[in-house]
Amino acid sequence: MQGTIACHACDLLVDVSELKTGQRASCPRCGHSLTRIRKDAHSKVLAYSVAALIALVTANAFPFLSFASSGLESVMTLPQTPAMLWGNGLPMVAILVAAFIIYIPATVLVLLILLCMPLRGERWRPWLKPVGRWVFTLQSWSMVEVFIIGVIVSLVKIMKMATVTMGLSFWGYVFFAILFTMAIAALDKYQMWQEIEALEEQRG
Amino acid sequence: MAEVEGSTAKSEGLASCHTCLKLVPEDTHTCPRCGSAVHQRETDSLQRCVALLITACILYIPANVLPIMYTDQLGKTEASTIIGGVVLLIKLGSIPIAAIIFIASVMVPSGKLIAMFYLVWSVKSHSQLSPQQRTVMYQVTEFIGKWSMVDVFVVAILVALVHLGGLLVIRPGFAALAFAGVVIVTMIAAEIFDSRLIWDQLEDNNDNSAT
Ligand SMILES: [Zn+2]
Ligand SMILES: [Zn+2]
Repeated sequence: MQGTIACHACDLLVDVSELKTGQRASCPRCGHSLTRIRKDAHSKVLAYSVAALIALVTANAFPFLSFASSGLESVMTLPQTPAMLWGNGLPMVAILVAAFIIYIPATVLVLLILLCMPLRGERWRPWLKPVGRWVFTLQSWSMVEVFIIGVIVSLVKIMKMATVTMGLSFWGYVFFAILFTMAIAALDKYQMWQEIEALEEQRG
Repeated sequence: MAEVEGSTAKSEGLASCHTCLKLVPEDTHTCPRCGSAVHQRETDSLQRCVALLITACILYIPANVLPIMYTDQLGKTEASTIIGGVVLLIKLGSIPIAAIIFIASVMVPSGKLIAMFYLVWSVKSHSQLSPQQRTVMYQVTEFIGKWSMVDVFVVAILVALVHLGGLLVIRPGFAALAFAGVVIVTMIAAEIFDSRLIWDQLEDNNDNSAT
C-alpha cells in the first residue's frame, strides 16, 4: 500500500502517490489534512530551529518583565518563573510550567535538528527512527504560544497597580515562539517517514 | 494503483500506524517501519476516555473552589479564585480581557468536558449530529486543549514578577495545581479518544443495510 494514507480522523484510504511539491492532500470525506510536500522542507526546519534555539537562549538570559511601584522594583526572568512556584510550595506545577514553556520546546528543536541534518544530506543515521517517533509526541506538549497569551493577560491584570516594563527576554521569547511554530509547521510527518524508510532501504 | 476511494483501512483488513502512518495488515503488533505498537483502533478508547473525563471533573471542583492565588498587600492577604479573577477584571474595566479569561478558564474547560462526554456517548448511540460535524467538534476540542493552561501561566508569571517586600506580594494557590491537572487530564482524554469510531458507525450501518 505504498502512496496510500488512512485518514487519521476517519480511516478513509486516500491515494497520495500523485502529490507534487508544493501541494497538500486532505481527506475527501472528513476534511482532515493528511500530508503536504514542501519545497526545501529540511533546510527550512534547520534554519528556523537553529534561530529558535538562539532566541530561546536570549529569552533565558535577560530580564523578562520588570514591575515598579512606590520606588520598589521587582524583576522576573524566564528560568525564575518556575523556580518561584517551587519556592512557594507547588513543585509539581513548577515542573509542568518549566517543561511546557522551556524544556519540551527546546528538546523538540534539538530533535528537529538531529532529524533534518541527515535527511537534508540524504544520509542514514541510527537515531532517525527513535527521534522521529518522539518529535511529534513531544511537540503536542509544547505551550509556547499559550505562554505568550499568559504574559499579555498578566500585563493587563497588573498594569493599573504599577509600571510594568517588557525586557529583552520578552521579545526574545516572542521571536522564539514564532520561529518554533514555523519550524514545526515546515515538517510533515508522513513525508518524513517516507524519507526515513527510503534511506533505510538504501543502506541495506 | 487501484482506486481506493470509499474504503477504509479497517474494511480492507489494514491498520494505520499511529506514529508513522504506515499501512500494515491488521494483525501486526509492531510497526515494521518505526517500531511503535500498532492498534487498528485505540485499545479501550471509550472506557479510558471516560475514566479520564471523570478524573478531570473531580479535579475541576478544587480548581474552582480553592484560591488560585493570594495577594499580600500592606499586611492584608486576599485570596482569589478563578471566577473571582474574572469579576475583578470586569470591575477594573478590562472587559475584553475578562471575556478572554472567562472563555479560556470557565467556558473552554467545562465545554471541553461536555463535548468529550457527548462524543463518547454518540459512538454508542444515535446522534443527531453527522460524523462530519462530530469530527469537527472533536478536532476543535483537541486543538483548544492546551489553551486552558493560560490561567496557570498567569499565576506563574505574577508570582515571579510581583514580590515587592512587605508592600505587594503575589503567591500561588493550590487551585493552580488542580487546574493544571484538569487541563492535562482532558488533553490526554482527547488524545485517547479515537475519532475513527465515529465513522465506524457509518460502515456498520452500510453493512446492515446492504445485507
Ligand atoms: Zn478523513
Ligand atoms: Zn509506524
